[in-house]
Formats: sequence, structure tokens, C-alpha cells
Amino acid sequence: MASWKTMDPAHKRYVIRTNMFMTGYVLVNVAAIFGAFDEIIGKAAGVVLGLCVAAPIAGQLWATLSLMNEADEFVRALTAKRFVIASGLAMALFSGWGFAESYGGAWHAPGWLIYPLFWGLFGLISPFVKSTGR
Amino acid sequence: MKNSLRELRTGKGWTQEQLGQALGVSRQAVNALETEKHDPSLDLAYRIAALFERAVEDVFDNPHA
Repeated sequence: MASWKTMDPAHKRYVIRTNMFMTGYVLVNVAAIFGAFDEIIGKAAGVVLGLCVAAPIAGQLWATLSLMNEADEFVRALTAKRFVIASGLAMALFSGWGFAESYGGAWHAPGWLIYPLFWGLFGLISPFVKSTGR
Repeated sequence: MKNSLRELRTGKGWTQEQLGQALGVSRQAVNALETEKHDPSLDLAYRIAALFERAVEDVFDNPHA
């Protein structure tokens, strides 16, 4: 991992954008955990809150696509490969869990968990996915 | 894809960073090419060959030949 000093401009922009969107995402989630939004449960404002959580996720996807657009072909291909593997694993795990929940009595996993699950898997597979080919 | 990029680079006394700057790619990309973790696009292969004033097949082994 390159340090900030040796990092190319595309990666610096990516880090800044990621920190910005992640801060927004974490703040909304921490506020929810501490009950800041309990009064709007079941109200239309709850839908707006859902959009507030979705916005930084969409922003993060834009930041990733921008990195791929601005970076060289190796970084672009490697990021795409890692993204496909991590999203595929996240979807497989979450879909499987949904059925385990419905038919196997597994505890309920809230839908918002798929986002941290995806990035967790992305981080987990990255040290093992270092080539762009087979 | 097997290639002689490392030999060509060190022959010029360049670091991976310097070669990356000359080619307009990251040091990581140069390292991935040298360690055969990335097959270059045709455009990048031609840029590399032009930089070292060689034919593409002098730098990259043709796996289909």
C-alpha cells in the first residue's frame, strides 16, 4: 500500500472521496444505533432516512468508478475483478442467509448489512487477488 | 505473459517508478507486468516496445507462435 506521499493523484482523490462518503454513512448509522431516529419509525420521514443512508453508498460507488476511470489499465482491471468477486460472494452469502432465515430458523439479518459485508469481503479477498488474468 | 521488461528496464538503470512515469502507468502496473500478473493491452504493449525501440515480440513472448 502506497503512502500518501507516494500515492498518485487518482488514488488520493479516491481516498478523500471514500473518507467523505464513509464518514456520512457511519454518522447516520451511529446516530441510528443510539436511537436518534426512533421517533420517526413508521413515518414517511423514515423513507427519507433510508435515502440518506443510500446516498453515501451511491457516492462510494461513484468514487470507485472514478478511480477506475482515472487509473491505469492494471488498477482498472484489478479493481473490477475484486469488485465482481466481492459482490458475487456478498450476494451469495446474503441470498443463502435469506433462505436459512426463512427455512432454517437463522436469526434475522437486516438488509443494510450487505454493504459492510461487501466491503469486508472486498478487503478480505484483495490480498489474494493480485493478478488481472486467470 | 512472459516478457523481458525487467531486463530492459534494469539495462537502462531505471526504477519501476521511473518506467511507470515514462509509460504513464503506476509503479504497481510495471511490477504486475514484470511478474506476469497482468497481460498488457495492445496499446500499452506498443508503448513499451516504442520506449525501448524494440518490436513488441522482442519484449513480449508470443504465446500463440
